[in-house]
Amino acid sequence: MIPWVIANPGSSVEEVCRRFGYTESDLAQDLNIVFVCGLPGYGPGDLMSAEIVDDEVVIDMAEYFADAPRLAPAEALALLAAGMAITASGQGGDALEEAVDKLSAVLLPEGSEVIDIDLAAEPELVGRLKSAAASNEVVAITYTSLSRDETTEREVEPWSVFSSLGNWYLMGYCRLATDRRVFRVDRIQAAAPIGETFTPPANLPPAEARYVPSIEDVRARIALGPGARWVTEYYPVDIVSDRTEELIVDFSAADPLVAARLLLRLGPDAKLIKGEEVERALAALRQRILDVYRD
Amino acid sequence: MRKVLERVINLLAMLLTASRPVAAEDIRRTIPGYSADSDEAFHRMFERDKDLLRRIGIPIELRPLDGWEVDQGYVVDPNAYRLADPGLTDEERAALLLAAQMVRLGGELAAPEAVLKLGGARTTGAVEPLSADLGLGAETLGELFGAVTERRLVTFRYRGTSRRIAPYGLGHRRGHWYLVGGTNDGQRTYRVDRMEAIQVEGRTGTFRRPSDFDLKTVLDHLAWEGGPNAATTAKVRFSPEVAWWASRQLGSEARETEDDGSITVTVPVSNPASFLGWVLTFGEGAEVLAPPELRQSVINRVKGLA
Repeated sequence: MIPWVIANPGSSVEEVCRRFGYTESDLAQDLNIVFVCGLPGYGPGDLMSAEIVDDEVVIDMAEYFADAPRLAPAEALALLAAGMAITASGQGGDALEEAVDKLSAVLLPEGSEVIDIDLAAEPELVGRLKSAAASNEVVAITYTSLSRDETTEREVEPWSVFSSLGNWYLMGYCRLATDRRVFRVDRIQAAAPIGETFTPPANLPPAEARYVPSIEDVRARIALGPGARWVTEYYPVDIVSDRTEELIVDFSAADPLVAARLLLRLGPDAKLIKGEEVERALAALRQRILDVYRD
Repeated sequence: MRKVLERVINLLAMLLTASRPVAAEDIRRTIPGYSADSDEAFHRMFERDKDLLRRIGIPIELRPLDGWEVDQGYVVDPNAYRLADPGLTDEERAALLLAAQMVRLGGELAAPEAVLKLGGARTTGAVEPLSADLGLGAETLGELFGAVTERRLVTFRYRGTSRRIAPYGLGHRRGHWYLVGGTNDGQRTYRVDRMEAIQVEGRTGTFRRPSDFDLKTVLDHLAWEGGPNAATTAKVRFSPEVAWWASRQLGSEARETEDDGSITVTVPVSNPASFLGWVLTFGEGAEVLAPPELRQSVINRVKGLA
């Protein structure tokens, strides 16, 4: 705040407060602290002068604070990452792109190619769902569930759209489930407003994508080899035992087919230890695929 | 808190304006708030204050007081301290602040307070219904960012062995952060969340980036998909039920749509094993038509032969 006020003499209290997120009393308090600080000697000629005069913020005797301090590496990275991520979401706008370019020019002396941030590519649908959430419009979606392997039509009151662990999600109130639901955007085949608006909750729940296993879930015990350890990061599993060459987990899903597909995909990297329903689903899946490849 | 703020502001003012490094003893004698305490209390307080300043990016350096290098003192070089002003407009600052409020790193917002250093921005207070969680925290990433931009070597442990690399670039793809760097065995890519005991070395400007280094291409082709080094080209048919989902995941690859809604896609494949895994996620909805080896490997996998 100090460098900005020095560079912009005559700024009003209101301007400084809005720009730097102060309440008037917090600003007055901080100016009071600045007022008693300064250079060694700490006599009247050494201290900075900082006060509010006729609704203007006045700072004097502080030439050494005329420049703002540089960004810490963590701050620089965070600002660049935020700007690049939102730009990648297709929801940034020209001002943000320009801001990222200017920041890159001063923070990345060797050229901006050394930092690169991308999110899963769903900009078109993400943009439409975000607009619907912003204007409180109910949307009808065609959704294929990852955990149930079924496609349904549902009306959703969209609250927010978020990206997490490499996927985009839509969070909102689902009128079919009559409860809050989180949908993966890449599993939404179609979305269209139905011409109805809704009132969003005053406080949105946190944007979290983790699948919460339910008591009715099918469970299977699976041994994962070294090449399949990544499964623990993408699926809801309980780790039963962990040795370097073999990780044993309990896997839950609403539909046994989800576990069967995963086992097939992992091949020799995974072994089903226990879970009759999953075993049956896996055998049926193998048969259906072989039928496709028969001709 | 007020006392700490006064002390830290005075410390910064003193170090910024000092024409030569200042010994810790002189700082203790000069700045109110340090003088009255015991040796131990002073050192603890002084360390904490230095940490606080360094965390917000203030470059406090320890330099010899004389040619003999026996005694050392502290100084803040005004040139290193000063923000290189990117010259943002009010509108650009507001857009950047909004972005920082929409993105999380390690569960924390992406440093919206850092926008204050750039001149602050008026917020409308409106909450955007869009957010992105980029996983890891800004502290580790900030260290690696510093290593990349200042060309410092990085050592760390990865899958049980020690590595020492020249960090060329840092990026985020599909929910993970990657560090790409040069090693004795050529260019390698590491997942940052799997790097342990990360140490950034002190010397700057220690390596040259290859002139053809292209971070975007390296990160884009991490998966099975081919790029310039594709080993083979595969032809896959997706049934009408899954065609929409396959199209979503594929890029601009050549595709033909049949009357029944199924699609046939031709894709370059550089890693047949992970390509096989991907095709199998579609179950009976996908059929590999060519090449024959890939088709056979699907059949073998489904029969439990491989």
